[in-house]
Amino acid sequence: MLIKNTENHYGAMAILLHWGMALLIIGLLGEGLYMVNLPISLQKLKLFGWHKEYGVLVLILVCFRLGWRLTNSVPALPINLPKWQKIAARMAHWSFYVFMFAMPITGWLITSAAGLPVSFFGWITLPDLIVPNTDLRIFFTEIHQWLAYGLIAVICLHMGAAFKHHFINKDNVLRGMLP
Amino acid sequence: MSQYFKKIFAIVIIILPILSFADVSVWQLIPEKSSLIFTATQNNAPVSGKFKKFAGDIHFDPAQLKASHVRIVIDMSSVSTDYADVADTLKTAEWFNVVSFPQAVFTAENFTQTGNHSYQANGTLTIRDKTVPVVMIFTLEGFSQTTARAKGSAMLKRLAFEVGQGEWQKTDNVQDEVQVQFTVAAIKK
Repeated sequence: MLIKNTENHYGAMAILLHWGMALLIIGLLGEGLYMVNLPISLQKLKLFGWHKEYGVLVLILVCFRLGWRLTNSVPALPINLPKWQKIAARMAHWSFYVFMFAMPITGWLITSAAGLPVSFFGWITLPDLIVPNTDLRIFFTEIHQWLAYGLIAVICLHMGAAFKHHFINKDNVLRGMLP
Repeated sequence: MSQYFKKIFAIVIIILPILSFADVSVWQLIPEKSSLIFTATQNNAPVSGKFKKFAGDIHFDPAQLKASHVRIVIDMSSVSTDYADVADTLKTAEWFNVVSFPQAVFTAENFTQTGNHSYQANGTLTIRDKTVPVVMIFTLEGFSQTTARAKGSAMLKRLAFEVGQGEWQKTDNVQDEVQVQFTVAAIKK
């Protein structure tokens, strides 16, 4: 398999980024939903620490991924696919990029507003984006939360569409993203 | 006559040190211009808080370091952090336990000059029911006949004071070292 994308198959880099980040993001969504309801404890602090670090990892990866996406051709969708479905598919794909930037950035804003900076695996401490402020912390927490719900919805749509292509349409859409 | 001089001489010898001790300036702390900030490490990143209320009994004179002595009393329930949950947690029994131990006390008696305007004080700090020797360094940024401003710091280990009990004794997520930084502004009484 080629590193770069071709006309009918994603390349190794795109596949690695897709599945690697899918695991990372779904893991962060599940962990995030779980940790916010825990009472204050060492476990909660630990989970928040991981959530922040891996969230920063997503932000770094998506910068690279966007660059890769913009400098690669993308495998064409099936020719016989209705136009609205082609548009819906591309919109879902681009919305993922919006989420992949918006989720970590709002997370970073929350942690800045809370006065609890983020260390990236003990290497560097991220600068605060805003000065500590309780109202802004609550505001960005709500945005982060609703973005998470929105992202979960688009992931479900994306997975549903992939399965529909594979099992009902029996085309090569899902196979194009498999190694 | 020589007997008379001897008496005076003896009295002067005895009284001089007492006079010089009594002469050490007494300072009134100005709360609005003073601050007491601590910085701990959570998940490898800093987290800061402050104590809003503290009072001082300050007897200090750079010319009479031996006779200088300071006692600062900190109201532990005045702890404040940007994210209120952190301060609320610090007030609980596992941390400062402000219900049982409402005050922390810092005393310093042993001052030495380490530079032009810099000093070191060896003292003790009591948090909860633990009293631990503490080395504090500070610089006198302004010192006149009527006003004084000192800025300094000390490095503490929270576990020496049993701050953070039970599962919080682990230092992976909340490190043992805590940096304390203070500014004390005062006027002469």
